[in-house]
Amino acid sequence: MDGILTGMRWPRFKFSIRAKLLLVSLVLLAIPLLGYSFVREMENVLRAGQEQVLLATARAVATTLHDRPALLERRAGETSASPSEPSEIEQIVKSLQRSNSRIWVIDRQHRLLALEGGLRRDENEEAPPQGWWARVLHTLLRPLYTLLLERPREDFDDTLPEEVLSGGKEVYSALAGVPTSRWRQTADRRAVILAAAHPIWVGDEVVGAVVVEETTNAVLSLRNRAFEQLIATTLAAFLLGAGTLFVFANHLSRRLQRLRDETERAIDAQGRVMHGFQAARDRDEIGDLSRSFAAMLERLADYTAYLERMADRLSHELRTPVAVVSSSLENLKSETVPEGARVYITRAEEGVRRLNIILTRITEATRLEQMLRHAERERFDLGRVVSGCVAGYAGAFPAFRFELRLPERRIEIEGSPDLIAQALDKLVENAMDFSEPDRPIDVSLTVEGNEARLAVSNEGPELPEAMQGRLFESMVSMRGEARGSHRNTPHLGLGLFIVRLIAEFHHGRALARNRPDGKGVVVQMVLPLAAPEPRPARSESELRNA
Amino acid sequence: MSRRIAIVEDDPAIRENVADALRRQGYEVQTYPDRPQALAAFKTRLPDLAIVDIGLGAEVDGGFTLVRELRALSETLPIIFLTARDSDFDLVAGLRLGADDYLTKDVSMPHLLARIAALFRRVDVLSTPGHAEDIVVRGHLELDLKRMTARWRDKPVELTLTEFWMVNALVKYPGHVKSRDQLMSEANLVVDDSTVTSHIKRIRKKFLAVDPDFDAIDTVYGMGYRWMAS
Repeated sequence: MDGILTGMRWPRFKFSIRAKLLLVSLVLLAIPLLGYSFVREMENVLRAGQEQVLLATARAVATTLHDRPALLERRAGETSASPSEPSEIEQIVKSLQRSNSRIWVIDRQHRLLALEGGLRRDENEEAPPQGWWARVLHTLLRPLYTLLLERPREDFDDTLPEEVLSGGKEVYSALAGVPTSRWRQTADRRAVILAAAHPIWVGDEVVGAVVVEETTNAVLSLRNRAFEQLIATTLAAFLLGAGTLFVFANHLSRRLQRLRDETERAIDAQGRVMHGFQAARDRDEIGDLSRSFAAMLERLADYTAYLERMADRLSHELRTPVAVVSSSLENLKSETVPEGARVYITRAEEGVRRLNIILTRITEATRLEQMLRHAERERFDLGRVVSGCVAGYAGAFPAFRFELRLPERRIEIEGSPDLIAQALDKLVENAMDFSEPDRPIDVSLTVEGNEARLAVSNEGPELPEAMQGRLFESMVSMRGEARGSHRNTPHLGLGLFIVRLIAEFHHGRALARNRPDGKGVVVQMVLPLAAPEPRPARSESELRNA
Repeated sequence: MSRRIAIVEDDPAIRENVADALRRQGYEVQTYPDRPQALAAFKTRLPDLAIVDIGLGAEVDGGFTLVRELRALSETLPIIFLTARDSDFDLVAGLRLGADDYLTKDVSMPHLLARIAALFRRVDVLSTPGHAEDIVVRGHLELDLKRMTARWRDKPVELTLTEFWMVNALVKYPGHVKSRDQLMSEANLVVDDSTVTSHIKRIRKKFLAVDPDFDAIDTVYGMGYRWMAS
């Protein structure tokens, strides 16, 4: 299991569904953008409308004056009108005047004949929005509005500058006979003024021009109000949309996490399928996924069970015919057999013995797995087990030299000493299989941090690159390249698999790598140490003497 | 009068091979291929010893059923399981039913014969009261070599034949380490190391059931086991 997990590269940072859906909700930002361009368009239309209206006003004044050329003549003769009584022109102008607009009339010499009206609007024109909700929203968003929107100001300088009077483009055009309009900024740049000029025709001659001026403030405040509403609505829509998406994403990712947790729990550290995966009942894709997981796990469990039984079945099925052969051979020995045939009986018996060993090995892993499920854990001194075992090997395999390195202190781990001894048997068997003749087999036990490292190293052929990760799988063997032939026993590649099972039972792992000196291979079990006990544990001999 | 041995085994070749080997030793042998036939014959007349396979034809656990029925007929009849099944589960189940021993089919014929002879000796001793006893005492342990029974602190410990022989091998020389191979040969058994381990485990458990402080069997890792004289 460890191998599988390290084989898979988990992405280092997680990009959750929640974050993705939030990103997706950014699409909602297109709504304010659309709104913005719409409001801009509206502003343009309003401006065009204002321009038309101003031009129309100018034309109306000009048309009215056109019928009274005398007025212009007379005025032109005078230098200035007496301010107290309004002239006739001013009366005409006043009658056509729009609120908040300023109308002035000039003659060909750019002399101002009449000036009527003012550009300033009432400051408190903007009424606060109606309804408490709108008011709250307005108050909340006011800082945002001030930041984003340019407020129309009424404190601009509304004097009629001389250069406009004498040199404005619209004035020139109008005096040349072409009605024109123009936007210009006030002298203090606080507002924009739209001026429309229209010529006053008398016969075929232009005798003067009418100029109608208005600020764009009315349009601006209209536009601002539209923007405010736009911001408020889109913000509300965005918040609502993102909020809904977030809740939905939360819900989704919680369900997926639950599914993931359940899936992970469904297979235990030994890779066996545990029962208890609860298929979800939801009628959507995640529910489907959960149901297919459940179905898949069920099939997997069936298959695993089939495989587990398979080895047992196979060995059981084979044992009976093997027993037939061996019992027949034994009966045959009791009969009188010609001397020349005895050698064949011996060979047949040897073959049967090897068959029996194969059968035992086949079931060894399965039996070990069964045993691991029921094995009891105890606290024991790993060093004592290792030294005992190595002393045993020295007696059992005199052809090999064993070198043992142990730390001084006790190394306590939690688990089964019998199983550790069994795993060490397999490690040493493996080392002997590949060892160069007459070279020592090193067994060492070291402590690194919270882990004990039990390593068996031999001199001999190195591991092929491709084998390093797979060595601890079932039925994987390099036996073809092994030189050792000290035992005439079959090899099934289960030894290191058993080491792995036992290491995993102790919450540890098994590793194989080439020696740094390039002369051979070291296979090791890394086992976590037992948690320190509050009081020093008494050794078994102390217990016995007590 | 020769001893009568019943063999209940569905495989004809093994059945006849074992029967031939036993007949050669002078035993009278009856063979039965399945449970109903065997049971019918046992109800008429009990054999002196029964060798039973677990899987009998169509009945996967027919042997277990048969032994249960046989134990109901006789409490003392020696029964040996001879089977291809080698899982701990089957072994424990078989011994719980009251079998005297549990052997896998790879047991050699001499080993099987030794067991049969030992079981018959025990029957003889039990049936002749007042027979001279052959008792070994090691501290709290008392082994009756004739009856093949064990007592610890005067309480009986129910051991199978294999287990009894293993304990006997261990206590012969207290303090000496017996390797797994030695234990196997003393117990007339050819099995793998892990089977010896589980036998020792079961022996310990049986003693612990009688005396929770029992710790006389010591594991010497890599070598074997020894009996600690207290």
